[in-house]
Amino acid sequence: MNKGIFLKRTLEIIPGGLSWGIIIGLIFLSFLHPVASAVIIISFDFYWIVRTVYLTTLLVMAHQRLFRQKGKDWLGLCRELPSERGFARLYQVVLFPVYNEGLEVLRPSLEALSASHYPKERIIVIMAFEERNALAHDNALILEEEFRGRFGAYLSTFHPDGLPGESRTKGANATWGAKAARKLLDSRAIAYEQVVISCFDADTCVEIEYFGCLSYHFLISAKPHQASYQPMPVYNNNIWQAPSLARLIEVSSSFCQMIESMRLEKFVTFSSHSMSFKTLVAIDYWPTNMISDDSVIYWKGYLHYNGDYRVVPLYVTVSLDAAYSSNLWRTIAVQYKQKRRWAWGVENFPFVVSGFIKNNKIPLVSKIRRSFHLLESHVTWAVWAVILVFIGPLPIFFGGAFFSQMSIAYNLPKITGLLFRFTLLTSLTWVFLSWTILPPRPKGTSWLKQGLLIIEWIFVPFIILIVGSAPAIDAQTRLMLARYMEFNPTLKGNKVL
Amino acid sequence: MYNFQKIRGCLFYLSLFLFCAGLPFILSFALGYKFNTRTFKFVKTGIIWVKTQPPGATIFLNGRLFPEKSPASMQELLPGTYKIALELEQHYPWNAEIEVEAGKVSRVDKVILFPVRPSLQQLNQEKFSSFHLDNEKKVIYYLDQDKKTVYRSNLDGSNFEDVAGLPDKIDPVTGWDVSPDKSKIFVYNQHRLAIILFDQQNDADFSSSVFATEYPQERISEVFWHSDSYHLVVLTDKHVQVIESRRGSLPVNLVDLVRGRPEAFYDIKEDILYFSDSQKSPDGSVYNNLYKLELRSDLFLLEKLITQPFGAAKPAQKEGSGE
Repeated sequence: MNKGIFLKRTLEIIPGGLSWGIIIGLIFLSFLHPVASAVIIISFDFYWIVRTVYLTTLLVMAHQRLFRQKGKDWLGLCRELPSERGFARLYQVVLFPVYNEGLEVLRPSLEALSASHYPKERIIVIMAFEERNALAHDNALILEEEFRGRFGAYLSTFHPDGLPGESRTKGANATWGAKAARKLLDSRAIAYEQVVISCFDADTCVEIEYFGCLSYHFLISAKPHQASYQPMPVYNNNIWQAPSLARLIEVSSSFCQMIESMRLEKFVTFSSHSMSFKTLVAIDYWPTNMISDDSVIYWKGYLHYNGDYRVVPLYVTVSLDAAYSSNLWRTIAVQYKQKRRWAWGVENFPFVVSGFIKNNKIPLVSKIRRSFHLLESHVTWAVWAVILVFIGPLPIFFGGAFFSQMSIAYNLPKITGLLFRFTLLTSLTWVFLSWTILPPRPKGTSWLKQGLLIIEWIFVPFIILIVGSAPAIDAQTRLMLARYMEFNPTLKGNKVL
Repeated sequence: MYNFQKIRGCLFYLSLFLFCAGLPFILSFALGYKFNTRTFKFVKTGIIWVKTQPPGATIFLNGRLFPEKSPASMQELLPGTYKIALELEQHYPWNAEIEVEAGKVSRVDKVILFPVRPSLQQLNQEKFSSFHLDNEKKVIYYLDQDKKTVYRSNLDGSNFEDVAGLPDKIDPVTGWDVSPDKSKIFVYNQHRLAIILFDQQNDADFSSSVFATEYPQERISEVFWHSDSYHLVVLTDKHVQVIESRRGSLPVNLVDLVRGRPEAFYDIKEDILYFSDSQKSPDGSVYNNLYKLELRSDLFLLEKLITQPFGAAKPAQKEGSGE
């Protein structure tokens, strides 16, 4: 085996191997040394309580920031900036990679873009279709008819299927679209430094102040090209229509992203995001053969700028569709696949560590810290629910008569029970915050549904089982066994059906 | 943003401190350690877990009232012997000395506090000599004191009624039992076995549905129902027999016995008869053997045997039988 492949495979095996090692090790320990197992479980339980409280506090802080900045006249602030900052010359390229989403998904996204508070003559829209989608050309024509005149430029691109070195990923399509945007900018002699590109999921509806907020943060930044800009994703497009299960998972996902926005040293781009076009060209666009293009683009920037690259959180929301289907089991399947795709972000670990090995300019401490954060977050995702739900009771079951006589056997369920009660308390905070980020109740929707939005939080333990650890274990095991995933867009509501 | 990050940093280190400082205490508590503030040392303690039926008993630990009622756990107890007293109004108290070991739980969880005035209820409404409880159908059968009538009631004594009259010839009755399908009963004494069919309402009209088998030369020692509710397994002082519960049926001898009154147990689930019998050894001494006789209809061609005339079927010979 060649050295490069050996390194790649080793790094691919590490996260899954570690997760499985922890799970299997704890199961065996429950048989062989139940006391040691119980000590580890209690330590983990306590760690989880402290972590939950810490993260909930961060969520409250992020939520407060979001609400403080809501309705702020960002565009006004941009105009107040000194002219040398270049707001008057700043262009926004908005790229929508489209897989097989129909007009009912794309039209609201473009409408929201059209309604945003930003000089439309400086907005360039790229609708990046996949050539293999039979309806691509028809849809492109219809949308061009409707929206061409509303922006500075409007371009439809069609990404050919099966280009050498590419996989069927969103990144490949986005790269094709970005290259077309580059030609357009070149033809209009617009400098790349004056362009911010936003790569949005096809269902992304921006807030009216999004580009104002983005421009302001871009313009005031000391190193605007050495940063990605991450809005807060909320799944409000169809949240009132989505079933409880999907709604809860999506609200939790939004909250996780808000929490991450407070941990800048770990913050990585996710889903819809923006960045300097100059940087995008410099780092050779999005990866064309990786599924987690949204986070890999950050790591490409990080490696390119030798660690001097960051993600700036934008406390404005972009609204996406909640993923659900026609019945509960299908919704579970859709959610599971979506979370597995997110968990496939574990492919970043071999990419990043390989990059760190090749790069001598990033400080070793930074390399170790970032690699550890990346590994720890994926391994924790894969094992936490398994430890709390399944492994927690094992020492009691397998400890035998001798263990059952010990104080720790008696105290283990008491402490685990305390953990769940405490987690429920923090859930109340989540319930309240979820209420505040909801869009207004649509006409014709019963007020009872509003009550349901609170009651449904009792299903959280069930959700933990579905999307807690299983998708992450699945993704890591696939990577470990070199059974690489292909990109499949998530079924959003009834729209992609 | 800077301020938020500063607050977040403080929160992170505070959480880290809480975890590092709290974990030793939580683990020591879980493992049964107690910090002795006098000696500034950790001492390993034990737990007593008390659970009573009914719950709510007052607990006294070494004569001192414990603040919680049962079920309760008494934690952080130094190793040693403790006197536990459990008291509940209108119930007999419970006392014991419990040994507490370091790091272990002493479980006192099988305590039943019996009421001072137990809930005692008389079920029969007539005098009776013996009864059978049918847990499946939730009824009790009684044989009256004069051994003439069979009564039946529910488990709480309600619906007490007579369901069968017994023929005079069976007086005195040695034993009786209801068939598994509850359609008939047998009664017997030393030389007579009678079967009485219940009618459709499970009541017996013995004038038309009694038939008896006489045993003038043998003494019946035990009778069992076969699981098919049709055959009876009869042990006499001379034979192990089967007989059908129909008029004119003849018994079939399955085994010849040596001993006069064998001990027997019939497993109705498996249709296996276990019985003891004597055997004489070559040196003349007599000893007992225990035998197992399978009577399952799929293993044993019971019906074939039954259809043969009395005495035609050759009884099974026990291996090494001395007789």
